Amino acid sequence: MSKIVIIEDTETIREELKTFLITYGFEAIAPTNFENIIQETLNEAPDLILLDINLPIFDGYYICREIRKQSDVPIIVVTSRDNEMDELMSMNLGADDFVTKPYNTQILLARIETILRRVQGSSMRDTLVYNDLKLNLSNGSVTYKGEKAELTKNEIKILSCLYKNKGKIVSRDDLMDFMWNADVFVDDNNLSVNVTRLRKKLEALGMEKNIETRRGLGYILP
Amino acid sequence: MTLKEYVKDRTVFLLMNFILFIIIGGIMILVRMNVQTVFLIFCIWFFPLFIYMLIEYFKQKIFYDELTSIMDDLDQKYLLPEVMKEPETVEGKALYEALRQANKDMHEHVKSYRDRENEYREYIETWIHEIKTPIASTRLIIENNQNGVTRNIKEEIKKIEEYIEQVLYYSRSNNVSKDYLIKEVPLADLVRSVIRRNSRDFISKGISIDLEKVEGIVFSDTKWLEFILNQLIGNAIKYNRERDGKVIIHTVRNENNIVLTIEDNGIGIPEKDIHRVFEKGFTGENGRQFGKSTGIGLYLCKKLADRLGLGLTITSKAGEGTKVSIIFPLTNVNFMQ
Repeated sequence: MSKIVIIEDTETIREELKTFLITYGFEAIAPTNFENIIQETLNEAPDLILLDINLPIFDGYYICREIRKQSDVPIIVVTSRDNEMDELMSMNLGADDFVTKPYNTQILLARIETILRRVQGSSMRDTLVYNDLKLNLSNGSVTYKGEKAELTKNEIKILSCLYKNKGKIVSRDDLMDFMWNADVFVDDNNLSVNVTRLRKKLEALGMEKNIETRRGLGYILP
Repeated sequence: MTLKEYVKDRTVFLLMNFILFIIIGGIMILVRMNVQTVFLIFCIWFFPLFIYMLIEYFKQKIFYDELTSIMDDLDQKYLLPEVMKEPETVEGKALYEALRQANKDMHEHVKSYRDRENEYREYIETWIHEIKTPIASTRLIIENNQNGVTRNIKEEIKKIEEYIEQVLYYSRSNNVSKDYLIKEVPLADLVRSVIRRNSRDFISKGISIDLEKVEGIVFSDTKWLEFILNQLIGNAIKYNRERDGKVIIHTVRNENNIVLTIEDNGIGIPEKDIHRVFEKGFTGENGRQFGKSTGIGLYLCKKLADRLGLGLTITSKAGEGTKVSIIFPLTNVNFMQ
């Protein structure tokens, strides 16, 4: 489980962000005391830091610079300042990414995952496993009990979204949302066609219980 | 100033002299003085007078002509007292002094307004940063408590964000130079990111999108461009039809420019309105029908596009659709490379 430290002084955001990250399977730590924030953060040995700019005592830039002196931990700067100069400055101080408030949480999540995947090596996070089904994100293939099939970009997106919500019904709207956020701008018909095709591919591999349609609700990977 | 005007201005003075001379001349003729003597006195009287008037006329003419020519050449007319030569005559000096005083006072007046406006703008910008924190919190709370209600709130929050962004860009639109950063902008990335921002609306209205022919790199400020594009795409969604809505985005590369066009098959703009859509506060027929237009979106787009040195054109046919194009000049690109 990846450990994320949230350095943020607004209580609501801090707590909600923590809850949000925990929901998505991260270990989240949100220090409330900013006097020794740099040492405290480093002691936690996090996998990633979410850093606000406007902070009491030291500002985010200072913290970023100080942390960089001692550690290469990925830092995502999260701020309500939104001009290019701030972004440039953060990047120059060694931040890995820059997200402006109010952020789209899914985008924040995607950025976190991208950076973690890069840092922790691709092998681990590029393969999603569901029962006996292995989805390899890097070459776009699925393997089921030794049988292998190639998937298209859209099919991969659909499968990975259902995988992330395994056991839960994903509404068509949410599925579309997920795909649009990944720059796949499918329309309603397209989605149905893709799901049907994906289901056929999985059946051809011998996987009998795969994507189910819940009429009026959406799809589920049981 | 012509000689005629000058003489006309001194009619009273000349008339007095003539009347006086006629009286004196009359008396002299009455006491049987020689006509030649009277004429001699006339010459002695009026010759220096005319000479004096002629000299003064030329002096004044030179002064005022110079003044008008300076005035004509001057870009900012209020700088006149700084530029003009200080006159030597008493009246001239008085005029000059008055002008200076008035000018100084006007400067102070303008400055107080400028300060007030700056203060207001700074306040708005700080306020926007402040308001972003509770919005970010709200979004997170919604994310952690997802249900039908919060989903609706999320939609409304998104609208609030759009309006806030509009305020920010409105307040910045007068001094772009303060915070823009020119860099390479791949148009395809920019368009995709704006589409992502509006994905919910595209999906819920069932509008299909075609961006196969978007390519090219321009040099501009990403944030500002994204704002403009977001407004335009937002319009394309808002004024689209209920079903079979379509948005086509494509670029054309010409010799001197790249043109990015956003085309929809929506309700279009009536011909009588099309020339005014970039005016501030103009909502037109569609705006009134939809009841949500503020008449600021396109006005701001135009203003920001002007500041960024981009062209913005709009063509539309009522009932058939609208086409908006952003024109990126390529000369800058060559220059920067």
